Amino acid sequence: MLTSTIMSAFSPSRAPQPDRAPGSDAPSSADPGPGHDGRRPHLIYLAIGFPPAAKSCAYRMRETANQFIAQGWDVTVVTIEDESWELESGIDLTLSDQVDPRVAVLKLPLRREDLETDIRRYSEERAVSPGRWAKKLRERQQETFPEATFGDWRGPLEDAVLGLHKERPADLLLATCVPYVNLAAAWRLWEEARVPYAVDFRDGWSIDVVDGHEAFRPESEEGRWETRVLGSAISLWVVNDPIAEHYRARYPVLADRVHVVRNGYDADSSPGRSRRPDPDSGLVFGYLGTVNFSPEHLKAVLEGWRIARTREPLLANARFEVRGHNGHGARRGANLQADLLRDAEPDGVTYGGPVAKAEVADAYARWDAMVLILIGGRYVTSGKVYEYMATGLPIVSAHAIAHDASNVLKGHPLWTGARGLDAKAIADAFVDAAHLAVESTDAQHAAAMAHADRFTREIIMSEAVKNLVDQFQVEKGRAQ
Amino acid sequence: MINVLFVSSNTLPVSAIAETAQRLDAEGARVFYGACTAEPKLKAALDGVELAQIHALPRANLRRAVDLPFGERVWTRCRKDLWLHARAREAHVLVAVDEGAVYTVWQLAQRNRKAKAVNGFAPAVSAVRELNGQDAVHTPGYSLLPPSLMAREFGRAVKRLPDATARALTARPIMRRDLGAKLWRLPLRAPGVPAGLRVATGRRVAEAMKWANKHTGAAYALALTASKISDSKTKAELLYDAASLEYGRGIVSRHTDKAVQALLAHADELQAEEDYLNAAGTLQRAMSLSFHRVAHIDGLSSPLADAPMKFIKPYHASKAMQTVMTPRGRLRPAAPRPTDRPLRLLITTSANANFLHEILDRYRDHPDVEVRFLDMVTQAGLKRVSWADRPIMQERMGGDDEYADQVEGLMRPYLDWADTVFVDWCVGPPAMITTVDPGDTRIIVRLHSYEAFTRWPHLVDWSRVDDLVFVAEHLRGLTTELVPALRGPKAPRTPVVFNATELSSFPREKQADARFNLGLVGVGQVVKDPLWAVEVLRLLREEDERYRLLMIGGDMDRDFSRATKKYRNKMEKELEPLVEAGAVLRLGATDDVAGKLTDVGFILSTSVRESAHLGLMEGTASGAVPVVRDWPYFAGSTYGGARTVFPDGWVVDTPKAAAERILRINITEENWRDCAKLAAEHALSTWDWSKVGKDFDELIFGER
Repeated sequence: MLTSTIMSAFSPSRAPQPDRAPGSDAPSSADPGPGHDGRRPHLIYLAIGFPPAAKSCAYRMRETANQFIAQGWDVTVVTIEDESWELESGIDLTLSDQVDPRVAVLKLPLRREDLETDIRRYSEERAVSPGRWAKKLRERQQETFPEATFGDWRGPLEDAVLGLHKERPADLLLATCVPYVNLAAAWRLWEEARVPYAVDFRDGWSIDVVDGHEAFRPESEEGRWETRVLGSAISLWVVNDPIAEHYRARYPVLADRVHVVRNGYDADSSPGRSRRPDPDSGLVFGYLGTVNFSPEHLKAVLEGWRIARTREPLLANARFEVRGHNGHGARRGANLQADLLRDAEPDGVTYGGPVAKAEVADAYARWDAMVLILIGGRYVTSGKVYEYMATGLPIVSAHAIAHDASNVLKGHPLWTGARGLDAKAIADAFVDAAHLAVESTDAQHAAAMAHADRFTREIIMSEAVKNLVDQFQVEKGRAQ
Repeated sequence: MINVLFVSSNTLPVSAIAETAQRLDAEGARVFYGACTAEPKLKAALDGVELAQIHALPRANLRRAVDLPFGERVWTRCRKDLWLHARAREAHVLVAVDEGAVYTVWQLAQRNRKAKAVNGFAPAVSAVRELNGQDAVHTPGYSLLPPSLMAREFGRAVKRLPDATARALTARPIMRRDLGAKLWRLPLRAPGVPAGLRVATGRRVAEAMKWANKHTGAAYALALTASKISDSKTKAELLYDAASLEYGRGIVSRHTDKAVQALLAHADELQAEEDYLNAAGTLQRAMSLSFHRVAHIDGLSSPLADAPMKFIKPYHASKAMQTVMTPRGRLRPAAPRPTDRPLRLLITTSANANFLHEILDRYRDHPDVEVRFLDMVTQAGLKRVSWADRPIMQERMGGDDEYADQVEGLMRPYLDWADTVFVDWCVGPPAMITTVDPGDTRIIVRLHSYEAFTRWPHLVDWSRVDDLVFVAEHLRGLTTELVPALRGPKAPRTPVVFNATELSSFPREKQADARFNLGLVGVGQVVKDPLWAVEVLRLLREEDERYRLLMIGGDMDRDFSRATKKYRNKMEKELEPLVEAGAVLRLGATDDVAGKLTDVGFILSTSVRESAHLGLMEGTASGAVPVVRDWPYFAGSTYGGARTVFPDGWVVDTPKAAAERILRINITEENWRDCAKLAAEHALSTWDWSKVGKDFDELIFGER
């Protein structure tokens, strides 16, 4: 058990508070911190995806910022304007409710040009051939920084951190990626003002976590950037052990600076046991998350569901609700996955769109079992596995057997086990889950929820931030 | 009321349309839908969707638009559509459904300058909601084009003038006449014409003939131009375009051999220059012609089947291809079967697991096996590398380490876990996997049938495969003849193991009149050649009108290929009177083949190509008497065919011989029953999973 957890006043389930803009008077805590002139130290947090962006990374970012505040820091988050998210995942204002009001947020007027859907903003060249235009755009973006889509944000991001530092000197910068172009801004501040920095890679850059292979070689432009930036970083966070192993092996000198900071789940997403499965009115299976898996993957799951329904009486009238974002930009909601889900309606499958963060627990509370559809393999954990565990409901795994989610789920009493992506094997798992849903006891349910306890986001991030602050102090001592 | 106009070019995402229409209806909007789709198809697809109007936009391109970007082509064909302009003029929101429609919507938005113009369904809903939130909605209407756009359009028209003149001289009515077309070939033959001018003229003539619907003439013009060109790259490109043009029309191109020769020669040059990227690309083009499905899969004959060695000889002579096919071997042999734990068996395929169910079930329940299944298409990375023929060839030439790294990263965890990897279908995945050394993991690949007529067996590094399993003897003969690496010292073992099929549920009591019913299971592909069965039926009905033909299975999809459409049209014409007369019963797709077979007294295999024909085996097990056409692709070859799979007496050469066999056996009901019983016993004792499963155990667990 972690006894040193520092509880943030704005951990989930606390009262909502208004935001504060950067540059306004900071309602600092009374404790003098280790910052400039005895004031609270100042963190610049490059967190593109910060609430209210309706992205899964927003939870981790929110908790990171809140924990820094709770540990005596002032925090200035750098992200992009809310309108820009409308082009991608949309915004969820309920996500901002639990951001500590002392967190200052600078929203840059940057937007993903490639996701623009207003045709009046298109040049004629773009309108004629959107694909060719997008290819040229990607090439242009990478002239500034070797990252498609975001590379040309480098200038504005560098200017933003330099400006913030000028206005209120920063003691530490934390860059969370994606986008990786954040690293350029961190590096610029380091080069110009020697502001120490840490990197939260989450998934990692030089490892393609989905396919499980090296994404680029050390001698490539991306490789040179990664080597340079990580070489001076005081800490590198990643979300699981396999990714950490990749970085330790790739950069042996950084080995002790690489830390696993798992995603965890927010306590307020857990519904408790509010529903008793009722096979007569139909068991309800649920999936909540982005529809980011391939049509073939979804096809295997739906075929497994269909087979299970015809085979298992408990599932004869069961329903399977899919919730979450499906696609972005112009093609939002119009893809093969949408067609497959619609075609599966006669099998009791429904697609209900995204769920606001504040309504997540309610959604879980309506379900009797969870369907964990995940892409990738041993380098992917995904945030939803923690939230799924915390529901205490039976979990059907529809992902590769050698997947990091399997490591996290090992020992969960109501998990059907990972059996790969064969429709028949998935059908077996649905059948097992139906029985677990109906036959499991309150004690088993409680044990399942307890399995998730150690992954509460607040506990994880509190510990991570504390360690980073300690590391920062050590480095600072060394420098002096 | 807010008017919303949707425009789509080449897609028809029905579920998204239906969902969006419903949401817009709830917002009080009227939805108009214009699509470049044939009217009957459009109406059928959108039947029941809440739309104010549906309209089929023009689909035929203007000749001058043929080479324009797709978006511009869509606009040039739709710009004079009255319905489109009427609806666009009244629209508050203009919506592009797909990329091809964006430019059309962009152009309409220049005319209706107050309308919102958006790309995609979700933005359309947002736009309507935004309008609903306003105090007053604007009155839509057209205004003059912006001067800048008018100037640009005028400039373009001026620029097109020389081309327009040339097109006038090669107008459709002129080119449609043989004389006109012939006259235009003269400058292509003329000596002393500079190469650049000759190529430009040849391409212009080809374009004109294509436009006049004379595709063979267009291909000829390109090939004729190529024959006068010495530059190997230009020659190869012209010939490739000539052959591709015909294949695109469902015609086996007579320019194939020359095009392949030119492409292979050019690939050799590129390889010598160490330009591996383009050398591989050129090889890929050569193979795309040689192994085009129109030539081998969609028709009733195949140049590869006719003369395998002649067919493959140019590839064996190509230096670039020799490099691609050079075996690289493995550092360690496959390890013996583990004795201290169950065998770890990875069974993998790419999208087609139809022949794996029994195998998976058997080993899932086997105490000595831990089985995992991997469908490559369910994982984006594996899907991407699995069918990457160009990078595979480029890597073999030494020019794409990145591809090998990707495969290493993606496949190594599976190779590390598995003791044995069983790859079903000899297509992209085994070529991909053998890019890397499998370590001490045993690799088994299974080839069914059609793969022998593709490029893939030539792209597998067979020195890294332990066993290549065939499902029939004749496929082994053909494939080993085509691929030298299957005969060399590093060649894999090549066992024959029949497909896994449960036949025990098929024997059932026959209906009283079954002995006059011929059955054909599976009629969904041209290779099944159901018209051969019709001919047998015709001959039988000349003797006895009680004979009928039962066709079991879904019909051929006309949209699948031009060859399929042509065959299906012919088939429909021949079947129509027979169906009307009750002589042919089309039973369609069914989940209960065994039930349908109770009506069948004689089961036919009429295909031009098969590995073993499961439908025939099932029919025989059901108690129907088998009548097997000597599959023409293999008939008379040294490695057998239908006669090496089935007892000689079951196999016939012609419809006449088939009819004679049926009449001879059906002389009495008792004779028919005896013959059927004997055949069923043979089927069950030879091909049933209870027997073949043991052969599989031998393959998986046997001595290595």
